Amino acid sequence: MIKIENLEKVYKTEEVETTALNGINLHVAAGEFVSIMGPSGCGKSTLLNVMGLLDKPESGSYKFIDTELLTLNDRERSNFRKRNMGFVFQNFNLIDELTVFENIELPLIYNKIPAGERKRLVNEIIERMNIVNRSGHFPQQLSGGQQQRVAVARALVTKPKLVLADEPTGNLDSAHGNEVMELLCELNETGTTIVMVTHSSHDASFSNRIINLKDGHVISEKINKSRNEELI
Amino acid sequence: MFKLNLKIAWRNLWKNKGYTLINVLGLSIGMASCILIFIFIRYQMSFDEGFKDQDRIYRMVSSWDYSDGNQFYSQGVPIPITPAVRDDFSPYIEKVSAIQNSGGIVKVNDQHGKEKVKSIENVFYVEPDFFEIFNYKWLSGNYESLKEPNHAVLSKEMAKKFFGNWNDALGKTINYDGNLNYIITGIIDDVPENNSVPLRIMLSYKSLKDRNLNNWGSVSSASESYFKLKRGIKIETLSEPLRLFIKKYYTEKAPGKEGHIFQPLADIHYNERFGNFSGRIMPKKQLYGLMVIGLFLILTASINFINLATAQAVSRSKEVGVRKVMGSQRGQLVTQFLTETFIIVLISLLIASVLTEIALPSMQNLFNAKISFSFFQHPIILVFMFVLVVCVSLIAGFYPAVIMSGFNPALAIKNKISANTGGLGLRKVLVVVQFAITITLIIGTLVILQQMKFIREQPLGFNPTAIAMVDLPNDSLTVERFNRFKAQLKQLPGVEEVSFCRTAPSSQNNNGSSFAYNNSKDADFQVNAKNADEDFLKTFDLKLIAGRNLSKSDSTNEFIVNETLLKRLNVAKPADALGKMISLGGQKKPIVGVVQDFKNKSLHESIDPIIVCSRIERYYYAAVKLNAKQMMTTMKSVEQVWKSNFPEFVYNESFLNDDINNFYQGEKIMGTLFKVFAGTIIFISFIGLFGLISFVAAQRTKEVAIRKVLGASTIELVRMLNGSFLIMVFIANLVAWPLAYLFISKWLSGFAYRIDISIWPFALAMVISMAITLITVSIRSYKAAAANTIDALKYE
Repeated sequence: MIKIENLEKVYKTEEVETTALNGINLHVAAGEFVSIMGPSGCGKSTLLNVMGLLDKPESGSYKFIDTELLTLNDRERSNFRKRNMGFVFQNFNLIDELTVFENIELPLIYNKIPAGERKRLVNEIIERMNIVNRSGHFPQQLSGGQQQRVAVARALVTKPKLVLADEPTGNLDSAHGNEVMELLCELNETGTTIVMVTHSSHDASFSNRIINLKDGHVISEKINKSRNEELI
Repeated sequence: MFKLNLKIAWRNLWKNKGYTLINVLGLSIGMASCILIFIFIRYQMSFDEGFKDQDRIYRMVSSWDYSDGNQFYSQGVPIPITPAVRDDFSPYIEKVSAIQNSGGIVKVNDQHGKEKVKSIENVFYVEPDFFEIFNYKWLSGNYESLKEPNHAVLSKEMAKKFFGNWNDALGKTINYDGNLNYIITGIIDDVPENNSVPLRIMLSYKSLKDRNLNNWGSVSSASESYFKLKRGIKIETLSEPLRLFIKKYYTEKAPGKEGHIFQPLADIHYNERFGNFSGRIMPKKQLYGLMVIGLFLILTASINFINLATAQAVSRSKEVGVRKVMGSQRGQLVTQFLTETFIIVLISLLIASVLTEIALPSMQNLFNAKISFSFFQHPIILVFMFVLVVCVSLIAGFYPAVIMSGFNPALAIKNKISANTGGLGLRKVLVVVQFAITITLIIGTLVILQQMKFIREQPLGFNPTAIAMVDLPNDSLTVERFNRFKAQLKQLPGVEEVSFCRTAPSSQNNNGSSFAYNNSKDADFQVNAKNADEDFLKTFDLKLIAGRNLSKSDSTNEFIVNETLLKRLNVAKPADALGKMISLGGQKKPIVGVVQDFKNKSLHESIDPIIVCSRIERYYYAAVKLNAKQMMTTMKSVEQVWKSNFPEFVYNESFLNDDINNFYQGEKIMGTLFKVFAGTIIFISFIGLFGLISFVAAQRTKEVAIRKVLGASTIELVRMLNGSFLIMVFIANLVAWPLAYLFISKWLSGFAYRIDISIWPFALAMVISMAITLITVSIRSYKAAAANTIDALKYE
């Protein structure tokens, strides 16, 4: 589904140039759950941002199914993003001024889904995520785990083809973290492609494939046998 | 979507109540001031509007050029000019009409012949053509009858006053000035206040008796002449015929070269050179000044908004990031933020409307004008408010919206947007601009107040305190009672001196006459002749510097002159002038005294050459010097004595001090306006500053805490937080000084007697602005510096 070739990204400040991505090649098949790991500064978050069209690389190619995404303009990028991608962040990134329901509804609004349909979809996902009794609360009134569930719900409500998760358990204790990982697995089993950046090998063990980055290069790729066997 | 944005907007405003309050407060005060200024300007611009063919209506006015370079202007024309224009300009003009202003006692009797109404009224003698030029609304009757003498037309208000019901007035009579009855033959609707010709009582022009009916050499501001151009004729076409006209009619040699100007109707309300019958003049430059102040006010409030919004932008960066991740486009975000601004501005507008309503009565008082804040009467106000809201929303909202919507989503969602994004530099520039405006106004206000004080304390050359100016009815019958009246006044306890005179030493009523000194030919300048009796010098405490006082006489036997006259005649020693002859108005009499210069006009103008002489027929006032301790009781007895002497007239008095203060009505209004608006701008600027320092303090909490842990004292921390603000206000002072200097030197040049521009207002404005800044920011920064360190550090 995703073909990334020779991706390069350089950050420039007044004094230094940092090469964040240095000729990355990466293929992700539909229905895969891929983990990207590596030390701090290896470029994994940059890669995720580029995949989510939040950042533009200097050169390379990024094909999604058969569409080249790097040549799109701003408007086309945001249109593509809102139709095909969902995001889960380490720090949840819920809007504090909106309730749980409204937060989840937001991407649907940007996708111009009619109000009745929106209500149905949000309620469906709220039920699935087991947060029905929280739908009127504001983010600050929830625990970290609950907030991340809301964030996941928000990422899923548009039924995206690809979910990008940036250290989704980073701010959670292990119990809540496991809950979120199980959620992602369930999601993957229903056919959603997931790319996750993580520090934790425990989290990575939930995925099909683990890619290790260092200094902007892919240094190793590992098929996660246990998980694949599970699947078979 | 819109609903959701509204929700976010509302919840955000509520969360940041403090900043919201500052924004709403600043904007609503700024907008209220703008609305007030607009209402006032609209009222002023509405003068003399609404007549049919108003673009073709002109007033003929007069000018004189003197050989010494002086120019003199009058709204009036010689009385015989109107018939001459009617003949000589007939190819160009449709109608021309003279209008003569006069004042006197109107009496109305009831059906039994008993006196029902007796009051002093302002009347106009008009030709019927006047109503061909100006299409007033006629309620009944017509102006045809004004072709004949002894007819009158009343306004509805006057008809009601005289006869109870205006419907009853037609055919009834009024008596004017004791000798003539006029039959009412027409009623017009009340002429609105915003009119330069306040018609209320109109009499047949044919009934006018004036000694100057055929005199081309005399111009009174009471005689005006209006005309309407023929359709399609340009006013410039008339300049050559005018040149010939002047050559034809001004045959006698006069010290000033006569000229006439065709003044468009639309210019009458604004032109300071000429007066008008309503006495209301509003120079356009003052209106422009007000517009600038209005602009400053709204700019200051908008700057507050921009600064607080960009400062707060960081706290909304996450929202922006999330929205972008979900597919929001930049345009949508800009719209969202502009909507928020729009809501705040709209709320401010509502509050501003309330404030306007509250401030309106004092504004009416200040300007002595019936301005109203009514949308139905003046829908243009609504339009203005709409434009104001849109403009302010854009000025205040656009920049923050662009900044916020431009955040990089990848950084924004990780809270990596630093507080300095969104124009820290711009914020500083805006603060400097804001304070430069504020400081300019502070300096302006200080100078205006200083100049007003200077004028108040300026030696006038005479003593105006405790002097009542009582109207003196002057005709052949009353003159005979003058001696008895004066004697009675002098006997009253509390009356110290009494003088009968034409005007007080200082008056707005001045006239010039040609004269000759010491057998030479006419001097090339005119002299201001003041008619007064022998008690004039004593009553007003005028100082003789040579010779003696006038001796008692009813007619002109001798002259007293002032120093300026001698200077203009190049007479070095006052004593040299004594005994020299002066010819004035056909009288050739000797100079017996020289009086020290006194201010005979407002201090905008310099002192005229003056002659004082006796002439009983020209005494229009009794100047009564009172014992200051019992003024009120004494005035009651003065009134009684007056009424017993002149029972057929209406008593009227004023105090000289009030009259003199009235010279400076314009400056007083200016002063008040500046005080009020400078205060408003200072307030808006400083609440903005308070908001900004609050933000900076909140944002630097962690830094403050770390510094404190490392050993910084509270004072050091306060100093650190305050530093940049004091520097900005200091720079603002440097920017404001030259601007303020330009403004005040221009303003002061309008006064013949003025203060020298000194460093003090500038220095004082600097001290004031720096001191208030220091206090404002210290309140907040002290709180931040003294806060508990650990709280700031343990929370990440």
